[in-house]
Amino acid sequence: MRFFFLALLLIVAGGAAPLLCIRRPTAMRALAATAMAGGCLLGAFDAIFKLFAPVPVSISLAFLNEFSLSFKLDPLSAFFLTAVFTIGMLAALYSVHYLDAAARPARTAVHYFLFGLLLATMALVTVADNIIAFALCWELMSLASLGLVLYDYEQGRNRHAAYLYAVFSQVGAMCIVAAFALIHAHTGALGLDGAAGLPEKTKIWVFVLAFVGFGSKAGIFPVHIWLPHAHPAAPSHISALMSGVMLKIGLYGILRLYAVLDWHTPLAGRLVLIAGLVSGVLGVINALGQHDLKRLLAYSSMENVGIMLMGMGVGMIGVAAGKPIMAVLGFAGALWHVWNHAIFKSLLFMGAGMVLHHTGTRTMDRLGGLGKRMPITAGTFFVGALAICGVPPFNGFASEFFVYLAGFSGLALAKTDFVLSVFAIIALAMIGGLALATFSKAMGVIFLGEPRSPAAANAHEKGWCMLLPMLVLAAACVFTGVFPGVLLTMTLKATAALGLGYGRVPLEPFAELTVGIGRGALLLVAVVALLLGLRAWLYKGKIVTAAGTWGCGFARPTARMQYTGASYAASILSFFRAVAPLDEEHPAVRGRFPDRTYYLSHVQDLAERHLGHLVVRPVQRFFDRLRWVQHGDIHMYIGFILIAIVVALVFV
Amino acid sequence: MQSILLLILAMLLAPLYAALILKVKAFFGGKKGPPLLIHYSTLAKLCRKGSVYSTSTTWIFKMGPVVSLATAALALMFLPLAGQPALVAFKGDVIFVLYMLGLGRFFIIAAALDTASPFEGMGAAREAYFPIFCEATLFMTLVLFHLITGELRLESYLAGGQPLALWRAAGAPLILVVIALIIVLLAENARVPVDDPATHLELTMIHEVMVLDHSGPDFALIELGAFFKLFFYAGLVTRLFCPYTPDSAALGALLFFAALTLVYLFVGLIESFMARYRMDKVPQFVLTSFALAAFATVITLEFMP
Repeated sequence: MRFFFLALLLIVAGGAAPLLCIRRPTAMRALAATAMAGGCLLGAFDAIFKLFAPVPVSISLAFLNEFSLSFKLDPLSAFFLTAVFTIGMLAALYSVHYLDAAARPARTAVHYFLFGLLLATMALVTVADNIIAFALCWELMSLASLGLVLYDYEQGRNRHAAYLYAVFSQVGAMCIVAAFALIHAHTGALGLDGAAGLPEKTKIWVFVLAFVGFGSKAGIFPVHIWLPHAHPAAPSHISALMSGVMLKIGLYGILRLYAVLDWHTPLAGRLVLIAGLVSGVLGVINALGQHDLKRLLAYSSMENVGIMLMGMGVGMIGVAAGKPIMAVLGFAGALWHVWNHAIFKSLLFMGAGMVLHHTGTRTMDRLGGLGKRMPITAGTFFVGALAICGVPPFNGFASEFFVYLAGFSGLALAKTDFVLSVFAIIALAMIGGLALATFSKAMGVIFLGEPRSPAAANAHEKGWCMLLPMLVLAAACVFTGVFPGVLLTMTLKATAALGLGYGRVPLEPFAELTVGIGRGALLLVAVVALLLGLRAWLYKGKIVTAAGTWGCGFARPTARMQYTGASYAASILSFFRAVAPLDEEHPAVRGRFPDRTYYLSHVQDLAERHLGHLVVRPVQRFFDRLRWVQHGDIHMYIGFILIAIVVALVFV
Repeated sequence: MQSILLLILAMLLAPLYAALILKVKAFFGGKKGPPLLIHYSTLAKLCRKGSVYSTSTTWIFKMGPVVSLATAALALMFLPLAGQPALVAFKGDVIFVLYMLGLGRFFIIAAALDTASPFEGMGAAREAYFPIFCEATLFMTLVLFHLITGELRLESYLAGGQPLALWRAAGAPLILVVIALIIVLLAENARVPVDDPATHLELTMIHEVMVLDHSGPDFALIELGAFFKLFFYAGLVTRLFCPYTPDSAALGALLFFAALTLVYLFVGLIESFMARYRMDKVPQFVLTSFALAAFATVITLEFMP
């Protein structure tokens, strides 16, 4: 694992370097970005080699003279590592021109240090092989990302976002540590391998605790509440990294624990599938109702995590029912979607960052017409939007296709699993339609039409370090959509490493499935090219003029007459208001003469709305009862400390 | 070979069949109606003209018609016309076709929002709303077909003797599926009672208003795409409700096109006898089709061995 640790060293060193040369902001950023990108490139290549290696490599290091940290790089870890390093590399490149506020060099230097730390700890979590290593790296990862979210700490809402994130990540970490503690209590060792020998009931507890803990990092309903606050608060390349990669580390934890527990009952699959259904549908409906672009993208990440969970759930049900094809299709679909989502969500967040950087606003209804002023951003955002809707010939289709196929295989099962499979298929279909509505809204309101504010009218796109990663990711969306074989091989290798008991997973049956998609995608591209030629021929020698948009004869059309994002989504949201309560404020115009009015809409997150009275208030009431402990008398406090020391020394 | 011929024939006849609907509506209005070849002369007229482009639009506006026609034409390539094997088929191609039609829809919506017109935004919002439920119905129907045949390709449902096998396995509940698919046809192709293609009020349109700003050859491509899409859905319904495939290919084609005429006439009848639903009642209408498909699945499950 030499190259792996060398890559991590490069990344951390690159991140720490700016702390030494704060006086030259541009050089510091360029140096950091180059070093981190170099480290990521090395790590990505190494991970790809390890993905195809026959035997996993492991290493054990001593820690604090008492424990040992052991790391193991097997194909599953390598799969996630490739995503971590690739997106990390592009995010590092993006940050050079994004963080160009020369007025805050010290803050930027600390930011790069934490950025390097985040990348390194995310990589270490995926290779951690024992409890201490995993918990240590997990906590460091949470702390690093917390610091990164607090980049703009002057704004109250960013501090609130960081606070929420801290609470949820610590509660999640507690659940994870509790799950590990249960394993340790039974195996007595610090490794994760012995977990397969746990009794049934303990396995249920371990899985549920781990699911909740990892789920809070992954953004599963209802522990996703921090997601729509923290992802917009962070700088855009960090949002891209968090949404594109860190959420998947949570999913990696669930997958790893499932593989280690060797617990093949249908209960696990059903739990995961239902969680995925709920997260997917609620995520996309909430995304549709957002006015803030980055919040929309954050909720959309929740939706895609739901799709991945649905794939995993269907796969687990397949394993429990003894249907290997269904299991492999489900897990492969989920893992493929991990990669696909990393590509297009990072692309979308980078586009959002570009927009925010040059217009100063994230509110969609204040933008518009950016397609003409920022053509490359608009084009790549369009590709990302199409990819995330899962339409061919882009990459999002292939992974959803596999999840569909797994769901259809599940139709042959018995009662509960049959019903759940039907729900999964119908939910995926509706998620697809809702995602199309969401991203046509985002694309149309921001980049098309006319600018709704001077900020949008004066926008331009500058900064090749921001444009290049977006172009690379957009090209990847198209390429992996038309030639899905590349990612398929990687995905199947990772699925084989899940230890489902199928040994080597053969490539041929699954490659046949993707051959059809690839053929169809190429055919589509060919037909579009043909029709473009036909259109050019039809327009030869014809008169083409330009004029203002027809407004039904209205004498003075303005940009404010366009459809806004709120109006676009209004009817869909009012249909789904049972699961996404919609607050609307629209004072009526009274009297004979025209008067001013406004329309305000706000979609409430169901979990956030009920968090206050279901969780916070009972907890506060409980701790209020314990208030008598803090009475301010220092002698009693010293007494408490003495008692605690005695108890710890005597009994523990 | 026969498939290619049938595809070319289908593409050539799609505008003719669409004119049938106009004739039926005129008949019930006591009028003579436009000639059956009206759509051909309209397309030719449009191709002779130039275009006026709105100053608000970008390249997406020009791509919209191309992609919508491409996806509709490709959908026809996957359809087993007259029971002959389709031009392209692979496992799961139904899902591919449905999502590809979604691609066409995205481009049309983007082209509509590109014009900065409130009317087109209205149409785009509705076009994004109703197909969500159509997808649910279509996938519910796929669940039923997969339960019966175990396959996920259009060929396994519609080619050769397969439709007859579907009827034998599912029985009368397939009538519910046919009705559900007709409702989806009406919703996806902007027919009464979901949308009135003959209305003059932009506030009440869905599809017509989205393409308001297209002109000349662009509009011809859009119209042709709409004809192909209607042909695709009508062909789907036809193969289900007339499942016979005689051994002779020519006789089979004749039977298919004759049954197709009946389907188009039925659509014309619905357009003549029903009024358009209020916009907020349309989801109920489309969800009725979902309920029918789900009900058919439940009944089939009960009686399947």
